[in-house]
Amino acid sequence: MIKNTFKWIVIFFLIFVMQTTLVPAISIYNIKPDLLLLGLFMLAVKNGVMPGLYVGFFLGLAQDIYSPVILGQNALAKTLAGFFAGLFNEKVMRLDPVFQAVLLVLTVLLGDLVFLVIQLVKSGGSVQMLGLEMVISSLPRALYSLLFGLVPIFWEYLFQTKTKR
Amino acid sequence: MQWIFELVVKYRVLCSLLFTSFVSLWMIFSSSERQAATTRFLTASVFYPLQLTFNQITLIEDVFSENRRLKMHNAQLSMKISALQEQTAENQRLREMLDFSKDWPYELIPARVVARDPSLAYRSVVINAGKKDSILNFMPVVTERGVAGKVVQSLNGISLVQLLKDPSNRISVLSRRNRTVAILETDDGQHFFMRVRSHEDFQIGDTIVTSGLGGIYPRGLEVGIVKDIKAGSDPLFKRVFIRPAVDFEHLEELFVIRLSPQWASFLSEMDSIEFNGND
Repeated sequence: MIKNTFKWIVIFFLIFVMQTTLVPAISIYNIKPDLLLLGLFMLAVKNGVMPGLYVGFFLGLAQDIYSPVILGQNALAKTLAGFFAGLFNEKVMRLDPVFQAVLLVLTVLLGDLVFLVIQLVKSGGSVQMLGLEMVISSLPRALYSLLFGLVPIFWEYLFQTKTKR
Repeated sequence: MQWIFELVVKYRVLCSLLFTSFVSLWMIFSSSERQAATTRFLTASVFYPLQLTFNQITLIEDVFSENRRLKMHNAQLSMKISALQEQTAENQRLREMLDFSKDWPYELIPARVVARDPSLAYRSVVINAGKKDSILNFMPVVTERGVAGKVVQSLNGISLVQLLKDPSNRISVLSRRNRTVAILETDDGQHFFMRVRSHEDFQIGDTIVTSGLGGIYPRGLEVGIVKDIKAGSDPLFKRVFIRPAVDFEHLEELFVIRLSPQWASFLSEMDSIEFNGND
């Protein structure tokens, strides 16, 4: 338990460092992969709803505090994303890599949807703008995140799952 | 109250979702002043301590790297100090030698020891002066303290110096106080002694100098001091032990006295004399 917690703390620390240093350098047309959400997704899929939910909440809260636009915006988005990914965790179903990839894309899209809805409610805007933003910004971001997510997903599938069997 | 707790435990996932969502929504829809206050509170209570912990870890890493850097710096400084101490000692020696050479009536050729006889009890050294510096065989070699030996082989840029501690190198000496002449010798390169008649007046502390006999060393060069006197197996003789003036273990700079052997001028003539002992 402690070992697992420590492992995830280290992983999130590394992801945080990468997100703030590496990711801006590899952005394409201002589209950046969300490595934090990717880490949250992997944690939720491995450990279930509760860890996904709470880690998502605190991760989002940390983002809100470090880049305060609307306090709670990232917290809620990440909470719901972690909750959603946790619903499909390994304890309740066996996940193949393709399903995990689809799930990752959906998780990123859900997180972005919540984020944009809050933005829409707080700052004003139209539903059409939200849809457009989802298509031109969130979907590429989800696919870009998937590109990075394929590495841990296939790593899990090829090495970890076999050892479990 | 109990049933609330049981309900929360039973629907803990839903309760957690509602709780986190409620907190998030409360933060989202609170006023900007409230948001700023909440941010300050969270920063001070949660994130600063976390940041402090990370900073401490970074600080420890810095301490390690600083420790490594200081160790390296310390090693460099130690080497510099060592080099400076060496230079100071050399400076001192050179000053002494300079003072010595000023008062010296003969022409001196300074030289530095560049090699030693590799044996444990070395008996000769190589100096970095040779024929190109007008050094010839049998020229006496001294330090600022006294006689060290003589040149036995002079090459172009270097010379081989046979030290007094070589048992085959015997020199004629005399006591400065009573002018008694004797031969200084050694069996092992450590103990120097003279065999003198039992009635000769030698005292501990007498200064022994070169006698000028033998044609190599000029008269009056300090050789050593009497440190002990012992009766020999033959009652007619006694052994007078000398402590050499030169420290043979720490020879670094030497002077060659530009003085040809007194017998060099007629050496060729001696070679040409036919020995007619049978006539």
